[in-house]
Amino acid sequence: MTDDLRASTTATFGSLSQRSLAIAVGLIGLCAGAIVPTYLASDFVLRLGSEGLLLGLLALSVAFLMNQAGLVALGAASIYGGAGYLFAIGMSDWGLSPTAALCVAFLILLVYAAMLGALIVRTNPLAFMMLTLAAGEMISHAVLLEGLRDYTGGADGLVVRVNGSVLGIDALRFADPVQFWCIAWIVTVLIGLAFWAIGRSRLGVVLRAIRGNEERMRFSGFNTFLPRLIGYVLVNVAAAIAGFLHVLNAGFVSPESLGLFVSTNTLVAALIGGISGSLGPILGGLIFSFAQDEFGARGLTQLLTGVAIVLFIVVFPRGVVGGLSSLSKRLGWRREGA
Amino acid sequence: MIALLIANSLALASLLIMLSSGLALIYGLRDVINFGHGAIYMLGAYLGYTIALVGGFWLALLLVPLLLALLGIAFEYLALRPLQRRSHIEVALVTLGLGIILGQVIIYIYGGEARSVDAPKILSGSVTVLHLSYPVYRLFLIVMGLGSCALLALWLRYTSSGLYVRAVSQDPSVARMMGINADRLSLLVTSLSTAFAGIAGVLAGPYLSVDPGMDVVMIVNCLIIVVIGGTGSIGGAIIAALLFGFVQVAGSVFLPNLAALVPYILLMVVLLIAPGGIGRGRVMS
Repeated sequence: MTDDLRASTTATFGSLSQRSLAIAVGLIGLCAGAIVPTYLASDFVLRLGSEGLLLGLLALSVAFLMNQAGLVALGAASIYGGAGYLFAIGMSDWGLSPTAALCVAFLILLVYAAMLGALIVRTNPLAFMMLTLAAGEMISHAVLLEGLRDYTGGADGLVVRVNGSVLGIDALRFADPVQFWCIAWIVTVLIGLAFWAIGRSRLGVVLRAIRGNEERMRFSGFNTFLPRLIGYVLVNVAAAIAGFLHVLNAGFVSPESLGLFVSTNTLVAALIGGISGSLGPILGGLIFSFAQDEFGARGLTQLLTGVAIVLFIVVFPRGVVGGLSSLSKRLGWRREGA
Repeated sequence: MIALLIANSLALASLLIMLSSGLALIYGLRDVINFGHGAIYMLGAYLGYTIALVGGFWLALLLVPLLLALLGIAFEYLALRPLQRRSHIEVALVTLGLGIILGQVIIYIYGGEARSVDAPKILSGSVTVLHLSYPVYRLFLIVMGLGSCALLALWLRYTSSGLYVRAVSQDPSVARMMGINADRLSLLVTSLSTAFAGIAGVLAGPYLSVDPGMDVVMIVNCLIIVVIGGTGSIGGAIIAALLFGFVQVAGSVFLPNLAALVPYILLMVVLLIAPGGIGRGRVMS
């Protein structure tokens, strides 16, 4: 009895100190990642890196749904671009302060995601993929409607001027590449951690069980609709945050931000990094961003996007992170054997 | 007015039927939605444009389906068969990637500007039917669309290979147990589906324009139709294509401001009322 107690207390203290160590390392990593690159890298590289982080955030949302729920969303662009449009319209046409416009835009996106999700998460995964593609195209057509031209600026898009501060942060900070890198890094890491935690929570377990066999879960008395809807709304929250960060940084929104290619680029970023876990998609976004800089000038981006989808699904289905982790496991096993 | 409306929607639906029934056929056999179908249609249109410049429209209408049937055979052997054991979602994503590659290669070769194809002399101009003047080419489209629709129905209903296709679509494992070779059927169906996409591409030349965005527009329309029709149901796809054509044409007449959104509204309404689509698709839950 006392031995048990002692064992459990040492275990608790052991795991406590381990946990606090992990938290300390994590905090140092978080700060180092935010600060160190700003001294080492040029503004140009920081800008590419920030774009990569935002793409990584989007990729994270797509990968989470793929990994946990087995659903592939091809409509990430509509939330990403929609966030920028709604924010801009809220400030210029509805006369809201930047923070209020952000909150209103966020609420509208939540309602949209919940309504669309309620319609489409009931269908099978293949239909879900087709429907998200269709919904994305719907939004990109809607922005170009002649009747909405006064609001959306048609094919030209909108210039977004933010006066004052957003959520207590001076808007000028978002336009500065160094400070924006810090913001984007911290937000991305926090959301990555949040998704990691959600994946390990009850919601993640239920989602994976539904992915495995929806009918079995339904017959076991689980609600299979609500968890998928919650998952769908949650990933769209991440996509919306990426959209807000993008518009605050870039200062304009254009119909291209709603285009199908944003969605396919997101998919590619997720596939490159690997969809299991939070690290892969973010790394994938960074890789994509720098690769796009390399090949984009030659007009090869879209072609390589297609090649990457085929290559990574057929040859490297686990992506860079998954591939590296299995490689390190294999090496470790060999060392043990020798 | 109503007659014109119906004729116009039939003309549009003809193209959509050829494309979406091809999608539904492959889906029935392989459980895979070919997201590259739009790019194959685009290839058909551009090949049709080139061949029509050299040898005329009729030659294009003859040659392009044959060439694309060969492409379908390659698609079956190089993509669908090796990936048979992978999940359907992964295969669908591979077709998406292949479609992007094909589309980009076409744009690389032909450049970004839109091309136009002239209809042959017999089909240009218009005829007067029941005091209404109507372009001959659209009538030709309707005849081709309804004709291919009828041929497809006859094939599915009265031939043994058609029977096998229906059997596999209804229950793949039982059909295989009864000794149906699904691989051989799939070869036939895939090449048929790409050949139909080729015909649709050539026919689209003089009717719509031949431009770099045509693949995305068409694949999205076809996906909407396949979902409305009940994924995998060919009859449903045909009815949905007719409905889609009518709604889009009527939308551009009566709601010109919202015309671009009308197909999506139709999709949402159908999903609200019947999440499984209007046909008897076997897969939607």
